Amino acid sequence: MAEAVKPGLAMLGLGFRVADRSILSDITLSIARGECVAVVGPNGAGKTTLFKAALGLLRPSSGSVTWDGADVRRMGGRERAAALAWLPQRTVVQETVPVLEFVRASRFRFSEGRAAAVDAAMAALCAVSAESLAQQPITTLSGGEFQRVMMATLVAQDAQTFLLDEPANHLDPRRQLDFYSMISRQWQQGRSVVCISHDINLLTHLSPLERASDVRVIGLDAGSLSFSLCLTDPSMKDALESLFSMALRVVEVSGRPYFLPSDEART
Amino acid sequence: MSVKLLVVCLASLLVLVAAPFVGASLQGDDSRFILLQLRLPRTLLGALVGATLGLTGAAYQALFDNPLATPSTVGTTAGATLGALAVLVLLPGSQMGLPAVTIAAFAGALVVTFAIAAIAASGRASINDVLLAGIAITLATGAVTTGLQFQADMAATFEAVRWSLGHLTQVGYRGVIMLAPVAGVCALILLLQVRALESMLGGEERAHAQGVDVRHTRTICLAFGAIGVGACVAWCGPIAFVGLIVPHLVRLSLGSTRRVLLPMSALVGSSFLVFCDALARCVVPGQDLPVGVVTASLGAPLLVFLIARRSRA
Repeated sequence: MAEAVKPGLAMLGLGFRVADRSILSDITLSIARGECVAVVGPNGAGKTTLFKAALGLLRPSSGSVTWDGADVRRMGGRERAAALAWLPQRTVVQETVPVLEFVRASRFRFSEGRAAAVDAAMAALCAVSAESLAQQPITTLSGGEFQRVMMATLVAQDAQTFLLDEPANHLDPRRQLDFYSMISRQWQQGRSVVCISHDINLLTHLSPLERASDVRVIGLDAGSLSFSLCLTDPSMKDALESLFSMALRVVEVSGRPYFLPSDEART
Repeated sequence: MSVKLLVVCLASLLVLVAAPFVGASLQGDDSRFILLQLRLPRTLLGALVGATLGLTGAAYQALFDNPLATPSTVGTTAGATLGALAVLVLLPGSQMGLPAVTIAAFAGALVVTFAIAAIAASGRASINDVLLAGIAITLATGAVTTGLQFQADMAATFEAVRWSLGHLTQVGYRGVIMLAPVAGVCALILLLQVRALESMLGGEERAHAQGVDVRHTRTICLAFGAIGVGACVAWCGPIAFVGLIVPHLVRLSLGSTRRVLLPMSALVGSSFLVFCDALARCVVPGQDLPVGVVTASLGAPLLVFLIARRSRA
């Protein structure tokens, strides 16, 4: 009997090994269109590898990754780029090209004229409030500006799902919040968002307050799925405590839950 | 920027048009012969070779995301040199339709480069590993060439050294006609990779996520770059520095945007080589310097000057 094809991104028994080291093991997970998912876990848990497998950058040692039922490694490049866009943890750009040209380059999947591509790139820069940077060389941007421009390249690529790998790392507190509300806007416009974060207190900012229960948090520990819970789930604190092996205290500020380290011993 | 672009285009075209008239004065009975049968094919050949070297250099620097990459980085020139030398040393004085040296040089270039392209196409090697493999195979090929030279007699060694300096002379219209379609097709195919190379500005993995078939782009760029450069080296010997310097001259004057950098490296490459060749036949009256000597001694200081100007800005 044929298995029901789930729309969106699906991983089935996904495993990935390098030499004898297992990086991911037996991950079964599906992320439907329009979902907002946060991925948390300690360093080395396999979060980035999970993204690379999703993008077809790695050959899984076992299992598969599919988009709308099609294997991501067998999909055409342009077709896959319409489904999934990626903001890597680090991007190094050596060449001093103008920001607008850099963003335009991410329109690769489209067969369109130059004028249309430039318009789309400009619109993407406006969507992240970075239109004033358009003519600046990309190598002269500050960390915060660069990250905004990277987000613009995803908007320009216009994929259904955004895979964001620690997007607000290295940003100051205000820009972190700005960045998360920008992600939130993209989600509310109908995209799926999968966001890796080390800062568990930023997760609540992935959604407006009234949609907090629509955010799903996935815990990854040593390459295995540790939990998959709604952000507002009462057992979230316990799940995070065991994931990071530390005691936490939940503090609610204007309706949003924050997780702070607690001095009390874990029970 | 568009004004700068226009100026560079016009200056390049001016050089290309004026070059055949540079040199010993064109008077007397054989002036028509000198202009049409010697200088014109020589200028056309220089334009073809310069364009191929400049464009391939720019494409390789973009592909490897490395400003030190050149058309010779993946062993193309080393392979061609080995092929040419093998014929010069082992079969002295041989002729078969096409000069055997040309055929052997082209074959040598392709064999060596395609070994590298195969590594690149496997997709497992990182692009830096491909670059390293290219350097390693270049050194190994050079060692074989040196060993071959050591075995050769004086006359063959002299021929080999002359060949390895690079020259644009004595090829005539036959060389131009045979090189033009090869260079043209290779240039066209490299230029079609511009959008993929633009996407690679942020690294190969990001380009993959944006829909680029990275292995395909690597293979196409390396293979067609090598065919074009191999054909040039086969006819003219290795002409140093053009493929390294020209893309930098373009980058420093017009910026790094790929869709400007690649075609303009072809245009500036052709005018640069033609200019150097015109200079090569004027510097010492009555003598043709090897053009490779001029490209290096003119291009290197120019590059240093532009870098100094940029770091002051």
